[in-house]
Amino acid sequence: MSPTLSMAESELYQILSPTGEVVDELPPLSGERLKELYVHMLRVRVLDERMLKLQRAGRVGFVGTATGQEAAMIGSAAALEERDWLWSGLREGGAAVMRGLPLAEYVAQMYCNANDTAKGRQMCNHFQHKGTNYPSWSSVIGTQIPHGVGAAFAAKLRGLDEVHAIYFGDGASSSNGFHSGMNMAAVWKAPCVFVLVNNGWAISVSAKQQTGSSSYADKAVAYGMPAVDVDGNDVLACYEAMRLAVARARGGEGPGLVVLNTYRMGGHSSSDDPTKYRTDEEVAPWAERDPLKRFECYLTTQGQLEADGTDALRASISEEIDAVIHEQEAAPPMSWRTLVEDVYAEVPGHLRRQYNDFLRIEEHYGEARPGDGAFPL
Amino acid sequence: MVLEFKLPDIGEGVAEGEIVQWLVNAGDEVAEFQPVVEVMTDKATVEIPAPAPGKIGELRAAAGDVVPVGEVIYTLETSGAPAPEPEPVAAAAAPAPAAAAAGATATAPPPPTRTNGKVLAVPSARRVARELGVDLGLVTGTGRNGVVRRSDVEAFHAAGGATATAPVTTTATAAALPVNAAGEVRTPFRGVRRKIADAMAQSAFTAVHFTVVEEVDVTDLVAVRAKAKEIGAQQEIKVTYMPFIMKAVANALLKYPVLNGRLDEASQELVHCNYVNLGIATDTPNGLIVPVVKDVQAKGILQLAEELGELAARTREGKVKPDELKDSTFTITNAGNIGGTLATPIINFPDIAILGVHRLMKKPGVVETPEGDRIEPRQYMNFSCSVDHRLADGADGARFLAWLRTLLETPALLSL
Repeated sequence: MSPTLSMAESELYQILSPTGEVVDELPPLSGERLKELYVHMLRVRVLDERMLKLQRAGRVGFVGTATGQEAAMIGSAAALEERDWLWSGLREGGAAVMRGLPLAEYVAQMYCNANDTAKGRQMCNHFQHKGTNYPSWSSVIGTQIPHGVGAAFAAKLRGLDEVHAIYFGDGASSSNGFHSGMNMAAVWKAPCVFVLVNNGWAISVSAKQQTGSSSYADKAVAYGMPAVDVDGNDVLACYEAMRLAVARARGGEGPGLVVLNTYRMGGHSSSDDPTKYRTDEEVAPWAERDPLKRFECYLTTQGQLEADGTDALRASISEEIDAVIHEQEAAPPMSWRTLVEDVYAEVPGHLRRQYNDFLRIEEHYGEARPGDGAFPL
Repeated sequence: MVLEFKLPDIGEGVAEGEIVQWLVNAGDEVAEFQPVVEVMTDKATVEIPAPAPGKIGELRAAAGDVVPVGEVIYTLETSGAPAPEPEPVAAAAAPAPAAAAAGATATAPPPPTRTNGKVLAVPSARRVARELGVDLGLVTGTGRNGVVRRSDVEAFHAAGGATATAPVTTTATAAALPVNAAGEVRTPFRGVRRKIADAMAQSAFTAVHFTVVEEVDVTDLVAVRAKAKEIGAQQEIKVTYMPFIMKAVANALLKYPVLNGRLDEASQELVHCNYVNLGIATDTPNGLIVPVVKDVQAKGILQLAEELGELAARTREGKVKPDELKDSTFTITNAGNIGGTLATPIINFPDIAILGVHRLMKKPGVVETPEGDRIEPRQYMNFSCSVDHRLADGADGARFLAWLRTLLETPALLSL
């Protein structure tokens, strides 16, 4: 079947079974493209592992990993065109990398160093990239939803052929932004897709405690938009469901809700200890459903991956990432000057004077950095 | 080059971590990202990896140590080119503010100023403070910006801050704790439980305990207390039997001061007091705590009732001040409202003696009348007095208890 964006209660849409067998019609993707998707997923896995280690060693401040959710991120985002927009929550950084956020900028943001395009004004792991339509995002839950809807509606008014994919978690479905965003998008037939990544936990609140609905997809009914419930650990199902919803939005038929059902294998963030609120027994079956393993099984049977494993591929990705880490770790910190920039188009006189006074003290104590030149008064 | 590895802030505002175990030994070669040590913080237990390849120099903290963020926990001899200094990034100490840099060299954290009763403290410090009955507002914090750390609370407590000591039963509620596969509940032996244990062991193995017991006919006291209860209620004071017993004890102790005081081991002197400070053993959710009512000899029954009610309530809430837990000259433990007809109390060391108050019981009693003896329903309470036989003798205990009985059987004598 092709996934029905149905208004009625839908079944879990799946193309690959957990053992990698094909149980539904395959999407029109070349073997080469499939292999690419796998590499992107593996890169997210390795990148997350590295970032968490950096955090544990005190080298970066904060990490929110997507471990277990790689298929949901990569599969769904792969259905977007370059000109489309991706509105992010905590864990979509890997999808942004696939869409062109340079790895160096990604790591620079983790270090909040001089190469960080957010200029150290965001917490670590809060990426942004203008070149790939990946707006800066907020830790505040669900705020990106009305932002994305507004931007999608603006694109429609301006006659731009853009679809806005708005990512958020199960917890955000309880936020104001979700309800107002879903409602207005459906009223306006805004060209957007709501991507609800149900990873089982909103920090320590389980997805079961979050809603009375039997499925998150049910929520679309009230707003008059179609929805599909997807096995979020099946990269091909994620891709195909998203492709359908994107095509519908692009065709002017309005928004849809794509629910990617997956599981957050790690803590909510590096500051969280999930063993305090969930049991090993709950986590274990999800390890069996690992999205990478599933895709690996399929690709191996298709001859797209060598049967002798993916160690070499993993090693080369690690090497690529470690090189970037060492390079960015050596980069200087953000210049002091950025303290007073970017709020006003021109830094006003009172801030220039304050900054120059501050700089004199920094210079006296040898704390001034490259790029810290005084402002002309 | 030798790299000093500082404990990073591994969880958004963590102030300290406990070393759970080392995963390497001094001299081991490690790879970058190889786990080196397991650390438990207020938020999570995590493995901390090596920041660069190299050889482990020295381990500067032992398993079980609680280390503040920013302290060097091990050194690493890195091979080859100098590795970038793993300066904790977003987390750590921001560059010294200009004002501080320009100012003095003093590095001491500012004294904890108490505004609106708010004290900056890490969660584990708050928990331990609750357990030990320590008022956080009195503890000087040594963390960043004067934040109170767990070790500050423990040091404050060890230095004579709030303490639990004393006698008889305590309840260790284990209801909410998980039962392991062997059907046991295992809880760390520390905090208040540990303090109580230390105090009890010191008392039991130092003081030579003997216990005198007396049965007291409190029928008249029951009637007097019922009236006093009504009067107290008009002033919103809850009058129990305790203030009467305290008053009687103060009277008896001034008559027999040999039981009122302590042994000063440092000066090798027996200290007997001409005032009576009564420790009141109090059952709290965290275990036994003994707040002290001072100068009982100078206070009336209602005043004692009021003070006792207020002090016991604050003790149960963990809000009692360290000063209020010191300088008892004698202690009363009252398990009578819980149950048990008799016990042998353990002295609240270094007090000389302790009085146990037991359950009020209605029993048939022999009443002497001009017409001869009669059997009547009477009310009785047992009193037990444990005395340190090193410091006083059996006769002292018996005399004290006999006079106490006289006073409580005829409450009017309390006005003597």
